[in-house]
This record gives sequence, C-alpha cells and structure tokens, in this order.
Amino acid sequence: MALPNPALSQIPDSYKYGWHDAEMKPLHVMKKGLNAQVVEEISRIKHEPEWMTKLRLKAYRHFEARPMPTWGGDLSQIDFQDIYYYVTATDKAVQSWDDVPDYIRRTYDKLGIPEAEKKYLAGVGGQYDSEVVYHNIREDLEKQGVLFVGTDEGLQRYPEIFKEYFGTVIPPNDNKLAALNTAVWSGGSFIYVPKGVHVELPLQAYFRINTENMGQFERTLIIADEGSSVHYVEGCTAPTYSTASLHSAVVEIIVKKGARVRYTTIQNWSANVYNLVTKRSTVEEDGIMEWVDCNLGSKLTMKYPSIYLLGERAHGEVLSIAFAADGQHQDAGGKIIHAAPNTTSLITSKSISQGTGRTSYRGLVKVYPGCKRSKSTVRCDALLLSDEARSDTYPYMEIDEEDVTIGHEATVSKVGSEQLFYLMSRGLSEAEASGMIVNGFIEPIVKELPMEYAVEMNRLIQLSMEGAVG
Amino acid sequence: MTVRSEATRLDLDAILAVSEANREPDWLRELRRAWWQRAEATPWPTGKEEEWRRTSLERLPRDVDLLLDPPRAEIRLDESLAANGVVFADLRDAVHAHPDLVRRALSAPDATTHDAPDAAEHPLQSVGSGEWGPGVTEFDSHDKFWALAHAAWTGGTFLYVPADVAVDDALLARSIVDRGNVAYFPLTLVLAEHGARVTLLDEHRSPDGEPVWFGGVVDIRSGREAYVRYANLQRLGDATWNIGAQRVEVGPSADVTTLNAEIGSAVTKVGLDVRMTGDGGTSRVLGLLAAGDDQHIDINAFQDLAASHVTSDLLYLSALYERARAAFYGVTKVRSYAKQTSSYQECRNLLLSPEAGAEPIPVLEIETNDILRCGHGATAGAIDPVQLFYAQTRGLRPDEAERMIVRGFFEQVVHQIDSEPIKVRVLEALAGRIGTADVIEGVA
Repeated sequence: MALPNPALSQIPDSYKYGWHDAEMKPLHVMKKGLNAQVVEEISRIKHEPEWMTKLRLKAYRHFEARPMPTWGGDLSQIDFQDIYYYVTATDKAVQSWDDVPDYIRRTYDKLGIPEAEKKYLAGVGGQYDSEVVYHNIREDLEKQGVLFVGTDEGLQRYPEIFKEYFGTVIPPNDNKLAALNTAVWSGGSFIYVPKGVHVELPLQAYFRINTENMGQFERTLIIADEGSSVHYVEGCTAPTYSTASLHSAVVEIIVKKGARVRYTTIQNWSANVYNLVTKRSTVEEDGIMEWVDCNLGSKLTMKYPSIYLLGERAHGEVLSIAFAADGQHQDAGGKIIHAAPNTTSLITSKSISQGTGRTSYRGLVKVYPGCKRSKSTVRCDALLLSDEARSDTYPYMEIDEEDVTIGHEATVSKVGSEQLFYLMSRGLSEAEASGMIVNGFIEPIVKELPMEYAVEMNRLIQLSMEGAVG
Repeated sequence: MTVRSEATRLDLDAILAVSEANREPDWLRELRRAWWQRAEATPWPTGKEEEWRRTSLERLPRDVDLLLDPPRAEIRLDESLAANGVVFADLRDAVHAHPDLVRRALSAPDATTHDAPDAAEHPLQSVGSGEWGPGVTEFDSHDKFWALAHAAWTGGTFLYVPADVAVDDALLARSIVDRGNVAYFPLTLVLAEHGARVTLLDEHRSPDGEPVWFGGVVDIRSGREAYVRYANLQRLGDATWNIGAQRVEVGPSADVTTLNAEIGSAVTKVGLDVRMTGDGGTSRVLGLLAAGDDQHIDINAFQDLAASHVTSDLLYLSALYERARAAFYGVTKVRSYAKQTSSYQECRNLLLSPEAGAEPIPVLEIETNDILRCGHGATAGAIDPVQLFYAQTRGLRPDEAERMIVRGFFEQVVHQIDSEPIKVRVLEALAGRIGTADVIEGVA
C-alpha cells in the first residue's frame, strides 16, 4: 500500500507530459507482485533461451537476499509487491510509423518524435511500456553493420554477441536494484557499432511509463567496437499518477580500444516516480566515454553513472545536471575508477534546488596503485533558489597512487538579489529572471546537448520557475 | 597523593579507585560513574558507520592497563596572571583548587548542550534571539570515546581565563606517558569567558615500541567575543593508538582557531566537533599531517553552522611518505536557521611515495540558501615535477628540493599560526619527518 505522496500536490495541472492514455489495452498484464514464477513467466512469454531464464532466476535470488540501501534517498515507501513487473502494448516491434497503433502514435505526437526524426535523428527506438514498438534505422547505418534494436530483439536475433557482453559490466549481484532489473528486465536498446564505424547522428529512444504502479525495467547494452563512435540519447517523460511508480534501469556500455561513446539522458519522470538506475561503462585503451546526465523529474532519483578506465590513456567524463523542485530529491553524481596509467577524467555537476527540493551530489574518484599519471578533476556547483531548499555534496576519493593529479572543488550559492534586481529592472518578471540565471548556471552542460534537447531543457527550466519563485 | 604508580584494568572499579585515591568530591565520582554507564551503553564502532569505514579498531590494544598516575603535565603560569584569576593547572589539582570551575567545564552525559561560559550573564537563548543557537549536533561517531575519557581520565590540563582577561604569551602544557602497555585518557578543558584572550599549546608524547591506547579528549568553550588559539602537537610513540575527540564551542562573536599537528602514533583517529552556536562567531580548523612508515591517520570533522553570521574555515594539509595513509571525512552543515554564513573546507594531500594513499572526503550539507559563501576543495597528488626541476636548476639536490617544497606546502597553515613559540615547536616536530635544518629556516 503506497502512502500519499506529498510531491504530487505540487504538480501543476499544466504538467507538460502528464496525460494518461486511457485507451491503451495491454495484451499481457501480469498480476502485481514478484516471485520466482513471475520471473520464469516473463522469460517464457519472451521465448528466451534457457541461459537467460537461469540468469534471471539467479538475479532474483540476489534481489531477495539483499537488504534495501539505507543511504541516499528515502526508499521506505517502495512496496515491491505492489508493482506490475511485465506489461506490453504490442507483441512485436514494428518497422514503419504507419504500423504503430493509433493511441501510441498520438502519445508520440505529443512528444514530437516524428518531427525530431525528420530533422536529423538517425533512428528511433521508442519504448511504450515494456516493449519496443517502433524502430527505424537509416539504411546507411544498416549497411555499415550497426545494430540498433530493442534489447529483447537483440537477444533473439544476435544471441552470440548478446551473451558475450550481457551482464559483464553490471553483474546480476552488483546491487539490489540491478539484481531486480536483471530478474525482470524488459525492453531497452541493444546497440552494436562495428570496428571503425562512426555513427554521425545521435541514436534516440523515448521511454514512457503508462500503467499505474507500472515498474519499468529496461535494459540497455551498447558495444562500441574498436575505433568506432556513437551518441545515444535517452529522454524520459511519464504521466502523472497518484501512486508511486518504480523505474529501475540498467545500462551497460563497452567502449573498446580507441572507441568513443556519449550517452545523454534527459530524465523527466513525473514527481511520483522512484528512479533507481545503475549505469556503468568500461573503457579500453584510448577510448572515451561521456555520460551527459540531466535529472529534472521523478520523486527520487538515485543514479551515479560510472566509468571504469581499464586501458591506458582512456578518458571518462560525467556531466550532470540535477534540478529538484518542491518535494523532489535528486541524488545523482558519478564514479570514475582509474585502473590504468595515463587515464584522465572529469566530473562536472550542476545542482539546482527549488522550494523544498533537495539535490545531493554523490561521487567517487578511485585510483588504483600503479595507475601513474592519472588525472581527475571534479567540479560541483550548487544553486539554491529558496530558504527551504537543501544541497549536499558527498565527494569520495580513494587515491592509492602517488604520481597523480586529483582535484575536487565545489561551491554552493544562491541567486543573488542584485542579479535579480538588475534583470527585473530591465523588464523581466522574477520568474523569467530566475530562469535566465539558472539557464546561465547550467549552460556549460546544456551546450553539450543536441540542439532540440537544449531548447527543451531551457524551456523546462523556465516552466519550473514560473509561479514557484519568491 | 597516595596513588601507587601501578596499573590496573580499565573498569568501573579501577575508575572509582582512582577517584577515591585522589580524594575527589562526590559529584565528580558520580559524574565518572554516569559517564562510564554512558560508555558501556554506547556500542563500539562496527566499521560500517561512515566515519569508521576507513579505520579498523580490531588491533586497538584494549587489554592494556589503565595508567593510574601519569606524570603531571609540565605547566607554567605567570603569577600576575594567577592573580587575575587565570587558572592553568593539571586537572587533578584543579579539581581541588577550583572545584566549581572544573564542574562547569566538565560536560555531563545527560546535558544535550554545553552551558555557555558566563551562562548567568548570557543565558542560553532559543533560536532567533540572535545570541546562542540551540547547540544541536548530529556528530556522534566519537561519543564512545568521549564518554570513556570522561569516565576514566587520570590526568589532563585545565585552563580557565576570566572575562576580559588577556593572556599575551602562549601557555604551554606538555604531558608525557612515561611507559608502554597502558591506556591513558587525558582531558584538556579550556573555558574562556567573554572577552578573554588566550593561546595554548597542548603537547602529548608516549614511548616508542610498546602499545599504548591514548584516548585524549579536548573540550574548548569560548564565551562572547573570546579569542582562543589552541594547538595540539601530537608526538605519540610509534606503537600508540590515538583515538580521540575534540569539541569546540564558539560563542557569539568569538574567534577560535584550533591546530592539530599530527606527527606521531601508529594509528590516529580523531573526531573534531566544531559548534558554531553563537551569532557572529569565527572558527578556523587547521591541520598539519606529516606521516610515514605504516602510519594511518584518519580525521573526521564536523563544522556545525548553527547560528547566523558565522564563519568557519577548515584546512588540512597532509604530506605522506612511505606507506602512510591519510583519510579525511569532514562534514560542513549549514542549518536552515543559520543566515549569512561563510564556510570552506579544504583537504590537500601530497603523496611522496608510490605506496602512500589518501582519501579526502569533504561533504557539504546545506539547508538554506541564505549563505554568503560555502565551498570545499580536495586534492591529492605528487609534487609537481616542474617545481622539482626548477629547484634543482637552482642548485638544490632532489631531496633538498623535496623538503623545501613540502615546507612550502605546509606554509599555507603555518603562516596562520600567530604565536612564534608555537610555530617553532610545530616546525621542530615536523622536521623529524620532512627534514631537518632547512625546515626550521625561515622561522624568524
């Protein structure tokens, strides 16, 4: 039984993506709750090979055995037996926009996906509840051998490469929520970029939660083979519901020698969603991994994209924006593990707390012995927009090598009354002025986003400011 | 004094026997008993607590005997100061000479907050009245050791400075544990009334080679507009476990600087609890760490900004040789009702050997947006090779160049020591680790 969520009273009626598609008729809806039979049933419906069924069951035992984390945010109101673990709207992914059912197309229309695609997106994998319903890969990418399919389809069509990499970056026993995801995962993206192939345009997938108490457990696996490059964009919106939803994804990324991957997230779940995500990548020599992680929505987000620098001269970056409005807690950050010499990393975090919102930066930089000439810089800035807002910074460092340069800096500040006064004297409202200041604060990260996302990000910040400042 | 110089087990009987032998007043015996009960009721750290993840107490020499009659601290006080009411004495003597003052200075297990100095004149007031904050704290990770020391102290230093009395020269207290295989819990109590000015160097030593459990506790309270400089020079022996706690209460418009110079010990684990409970108070929390061999130094700091217009800056510098390891876990907390505060937390580590390690973790918890300045920084790394090269082009040998650069690194804290005798003592102590003659150079 979920308790009333105080954050919900704060959601304005005009919440941009807060509609609920009443027409949706799930084909498979299991009962709420989780046990070994549910796990087996999910695997059976998906016609999975035996090794995956066994892996799911093994992960389920880890999930059962592990205690709930007691650090970070308040997880006490999550009831794992009050959640649907498998719902699907269509049984098969479809290749053409015309084949997508009407109600789902209307939903996507509101999100603007077709326009986005027309403009410059290479491919779209839209996730509506648990199954991938729409896929389109540009022909030239296909010719180059780039695989971009739903993760379930990836398992069916490319079993060898799938089995070689699945669960190798985030093993089933990594943490309680990763174990849960491994047990019940459904949907997500599977991407393989062959040697030397550069995917010029970002690959994109939208995720939506559309059933009350629907837990969404997508699983994404990206392999960038030697010398290749790819940019993947994940954006989330969710309808507003009255009881809490759980979103617990796992994203594994393998960056091979000399390859480069950028993974961009715009997380805008409605304020009733627990967003507990494990994201991790391994980087071989001369590889580059970049996480661009923007957290705007959800009731509570706990997410720390990680980079294991395993080969010499590997480079990792985490760019993080966290925006916590009234009632929200964004517990975000990043982890960099230097496990080879001459590796370099950069974490830049910008946190904004509004109303009673709370942002926490939680990060780790670890340098193993022998990783000579490793360099890491961590920069965290926090902006507090109200008296009741809260900001925490937990920057962990474990340095076991002498020949390194590791630094961390952080500042916490408020919107200056003089800045506000100046902008308002130029004719701006207080909300507009605050929005402008906040947009300036996050600009170094926003400029790394694809243009349409940058525009949308600025608009979302502006919307959040209206009526909420003062 | 009839206490025989023999050791015995650390338990309530031993503590009461000490109290008996020292002819302590009844209230003190009962206070010890209450603290012992608190210590017993407080569990040992398990290693799962955030503050205890980096230091294991598994090898703490717990079975050694309680040091019953340590040598008295070497203390000197000018007669004219004594005439003005300044008390500076071994704690055992102060209990008899100034029982009321000692009773005020000793914290009690049932009190949630300290009595402010001059409590009668400046009573504790509720939040928002602009004098004293509520004095709440969440820093409880060292409570076990705070309680143990208050129950089992057998020596210590007591310093009291009356209102508006200025002690111009630095006071020096030097105490030595004269044998190994003992547990010793000295208390240092400093009570500075409003407008008082005082500087104290508190130096501790123990012998090398034999295990010692050293549980020193420091309790500093400053009244309104008091000015306190406290330096703790830790030169304990190479088999000593230093598990200590320090608490500093900064009164309205008071100005308190503490310096911990961690030189000796096998393992040091100290919790610093800095309570900014008076409006307009200022604190600086300084640390110098020169460690080598297999030394393990773990500092926890809690800067509690619980009043308005306060400033609290922390700076810890570590130079780590051989297999030494320094951990620092500090929290700056800005309370929702603390307006217009300034704070900074900085931890810098020089790694001078491939096997040295550092874990600097400066945490911020900010509950209000009405802040003037708040930030933190942490670094770890080797000496800049460009600096080393430059120093060598000027004719220095590599080892000389390294010493000079380390000395320069420490200067960021050293130059903030405004007492010349203390600066000299600290630099002398550091010289043992970072080099000799040229380190002392530059001290006028």
